Amino acid sequence: MEVLAILLVAAAASHALARALNLPPVPLLLATGFLLGVGGLDAGVIVQDALVLGVTVLVFISGIELDPRRPQAQLRTAVKVGSGQFLVLAGLGVATATVIGYGIVPAAYLGLAIAASSTLVVVRILQRRGEMFEPYGRLTIGVLLVQDLILVLSIPLVESVGGDFSDVFPRLLVTGIAVAVAIGVVRPLAPVLLKVEDDGEALLLVTLLVLVAFLAGSAWLGLPLLVGGFLAGLALARFPVASAVRPLMAPLGDFFTALFFTALGALVGVPTLGEIGHALAFTALLLVATPIVVAVLGERAGLPARAAVEAGLLLAQASELSLVVGLLGLERGALDESAFTVIALVTAMTMLLTPLIATDAVTRRLLRIHPGTARRSKGPPPSGHVLLLGAGSTGMPLVETLIEAGQEVVVVDDDPKVLARVAKAGGRLVRGEASDPRTLERAGVADAIVVISTLRRGADNARVLEAAGDVPVLVRVFEEDEARRLQSLGAIPILTSDAAAEMLIEWFELGTPA
Amino acid sequence: MNGALVLTELGWVIAAAALALLVGRLIRLPPVLMWVGAGLLLGPVTGILHASDSLHLMSELGIALLLFLVGLELSPATLRDVGRPAAVVGGLQVLGTALLGYAAGAFFGLPVPEALMIAAAVTFSSTVVVVKLLDRAGALTTEYGRLSIGILLVQDVVVALVLTLMAGLSGGGMDAEALAGGLTRAFVGLAILSAVAVLAGRWILPGAADWMATSTEGLLVASLAWCLLFIVGAEALSLSVELGAFLAGLALAPTRVHGELRRRVRPLADLFLAVFFVVLGAELMPGAAFERPFLLAAVVALSFALKPILVALLARGPGGRSWRTSVLAGLSLGQMSEFSFILAAAAAEAGLVTPEILSLVGVAGLTTIAGSAIVIPGIERGWARWGAARFGEPDGDEHPHPPGGHIVVVGMNSLGRRLVEAFVESGERVVAVDSDPAKLAPVSVPTIQGVIDHRDVLDEAGVPNARLVVSALRIEDANSLLAWRCRRMGVPVSIHVFDASVRADLEALGVAHLMDSKRAATHRLRVALTELEVLD
Repeated sequence: MEVLAILLVAAAASHALARALNLPPVPLLLATGFLLGVGGLDAGVIVQDALVLGVTVLVFISGIELDPRRPQAQLRTAVKVGSGQFLVLAGLGVATATVIGYGIVPAAYLGLAIAASSTLVVVRILQRRGEMFEPYGRLTIGVLLVQDLILVLSIPLVESVGGDFSDVFPRLLVTGIAVAVAIGVVRPLAPVLLKVEDDGEALLLVTLLVLVAFLAGSAWLGLPLLVGGFLAGLALARFPVASAVRPLMAPLGDFFTALFFTALGALVGVPTLGEIGHALAFTALLLVATPIVVAVLGERAGLPARAAVEAGLLLAQASELSLVVGLLGLERGALDESAFTVIALVTAMTMLLTPLIATDAVTRRLLRIHPGTARRSKGPPPSGHVLLLGAGSTGMPLVETLIEAGQEVVVVDDDPKVLARVAKAGGRLVRGEASDPRTLERAGVADAIVVISTLRRGADNARVLEAAGDVPVLVRVFEEDEARRLQSLGAIPILTSDAAAEMLIEWFELGTPA
Repeated sequence: MNGALVLTELGWVIAAAALALLVGRLIRLPPVLMWVGAGLLLGPVTGILHASDSLHLMSELGIALLLFLVGLELSPATLRDVGRPAAVVGGLQVLGTALLGYAAGAFFGLPVPEALMIAAAVTFSSTVVVVKLLDRAGALTTEYGRLSIGILLVQDVVVALVLTLMAGLSGGGMDAEALAGGLTRAFVGLAILSAVAVLAGRWILPGAADWMATSTEGLLVASLAWCLLFIVGAEALSLSVELGAFLAGLALAPTRVHGELRRRVRPLADLFLAVFFVVLGAELMPGAAFERPFLLAAVVALSFALKPILVALLARGPGGRSWRTSVLAGLSLGQMSEFSFILAAAAAEAGLVTPEILSLVGVAGLTTIAGSAIVIPGIERGWARWGAARFGEPDGDEHPHPPGGHIVVVGMNSLGRRLVEAFVESGERVVAVDSDPAKLAPVSVPTIQGVIDHRDVLDEAGVPNARLVVSALRIEDANSLLAWRCRRMGVPVSIHVFDASVRADLEALGVAHLMDSKRAATHRLRVALTELEVLD
């Protein structure tokens, strides 16, 4: 009980610190664990067991998230970007490690460790910003899912690096069979779980039974247990099972992963200068290469420049699963403690840097030097027009109405599909990022008779208001507080929440469900 | 990581617990009974399971978290309400059953230490078993439920004293001074822990919990750390784990997030309790128990029949409770405690009792626990059928059924608040749900604080018999799950379409009405454009 209490109190302190400094908790958990280790925490049975259970729960929960519905329309792009980023970074990682002087086996582990990005860190940021469902948010989530899948499935392969390559194909085959089983049981499993859905205790135990079955199966097939745990999650990763299971598994995840990261931190030795140098090299590689790779691949797949850059910045960190890879390498004897320390350092550093890098300010700075955004329009900017910023699915009817009424309509958007629709309706197009003053200037913002903004973010709208000067600006906004704020800046807010409420009440009074 | 012992063990336990529970659902037997049975299969019958330290730690954690949950649910008012009668009834019951137990032991010719062992075994009821079973029956907050828990906590204090005595006895002879010191320490420890809990609960925790609440996992981890600090503190002050965890929960009960915390701790408690019961069954050594069938029968009868009668009489007389409360509380307490096993094992190791008595205590304990697992879920129905008329009391059903026909609004953002206002204006009864206590504070209607993904929150808000459920949330997963569950319950639902990309899924889920806020705003945009004379 005492050891558990020490680990939990340390974890609680890290979470409090993360809350106070607005940082992701994982690196802080590692850091307090490290301090406990330096302070002489006995790495006895309880700590070892916390590590094993922590890994299992962590990969299981990652597996449950692997629902192809989540990235929606962005799934194809996510597969391209996710696998591209993974391969390029893994390659660069292995190359860097080899240059620094690691052997081929540790280099493979190091490459794997920096190839994937962190679901725990990224999803938290997206949730906090309320941007999970924006196109770049969906893309990022999709990329994370793809990477988790590739990472876990390549673990059996990496285990054969440096050894006897003859068992690569049998291993691939066995892994493939296991994946097929996991996907195959999704359908028959669902009704069983949904039958006990109204009883939290039963649903929890049956969910864990699935996990146990897959762990036993993977042990029998000679696969690493964490592959089994991940595939068990995959077998449950479908709506509504995953959604019903998630709130029950989340506390288990919070508890065991807090113990896991703290206990793992205690395994990290005091880094030498050399190790810190290596870690800095990998960190720099991650921070520079990831945004470039993601932005290039994303834009090629048809993403607007800003979305691609934002996704790239958000994905520039190592994954919590990197630590699992490191731990695995350590236990298999493939990594020495020094390489493990480097992996832990890189993970902690890149995770800590993400909130500083994935910001609006950095995005803007990058977009300014982005070769694709310095567009020129032919001819002088329009004037006396209606300027519509962003014309998604709800914007089109308005464009048509305005054109019918004889107005000249100019639409700013960075999505080629949207622009094609607008062109068909007879509107004039300005391609670019609507919150960029240069784009607004090209669209003749100061000479419009009215500006209509459907931009979601408050900071973007503030910039539009500044550029528009005396031109009336209609801003679509959901929250009343935000509406008041924009009104004080000179906007005419159109409150979507109020409009939706009115419609519901109308429906309710007409139809009145009994 | 391969071949880790803890995974293998835990795997067996979980597999056994899950399968036992499923079978139990089919043949309508309570999970607790099935788990102990599964444990018997894994342990004494097949010898598969030899629980390690980590597994024991999880068992202990299960008990602790259960009591933590009980503490979380108690408000200071109910504590005051039930405290005095529980102390009186509990105190007298402990005295009465101990005397009866000792007398029975003496009657069967047992030596003094063994007769004392029997006395202890029949005196204490199992906090875990009772709370778990009452909770499953939804009876924790009933009057008899609270009285039972009060009595159990009194027993827990006595347990702490008995442990102190044991330490003195097995430490080679009774030193009166050391004994007095031990007793003082237990009482002072109880006072210190209670004081810390009360003071922190009043001054520190409400603010700290609100501050931490924006980080959901942080809140859980911090609360568990708080709970463990109390447990370690309780152990250091020679009090029981149960008491420590209970006080830790009690301190968190006044916070605004206690409901959400309870829902988050529950899955952990459920898992570890299943481990506890399976391990309990697995570690039984039946062997020699049946060599003294009459003694065994007497011990079972004392705890399963006489103790309930004694509790009922005491609760009715000195306690001044109604017959219903008294009888049901008595019946709830009709079993032996797992603590008896621990005590008997320690005594056997110290050579104070024979292995025969140890085995006998185990078998009697499991028998009475199994009995309770069957009896407790049905006691309310039983009372309505047989007891009410016999004791001349009307059957007071204590479970308030929500009236239904109301409207549940989820998500107190601008849309949710606007909807609540509008529904109240048109004379509807409304329940508001949000995970953020600060957002619920200004709302004028009844509120439920919690994340809607939890099934419990749905039930607490009365969703199954609501007239309409509306979600204003901008969280895709939560909305889809709510829509799915409402369709399953046959409750009409309206969901906020905050982005075009979520529309198709919701349509496929058969949502009665989609609140498309952007589309709805298009009309207002037209009006505004007309006012600006851009449109006519």
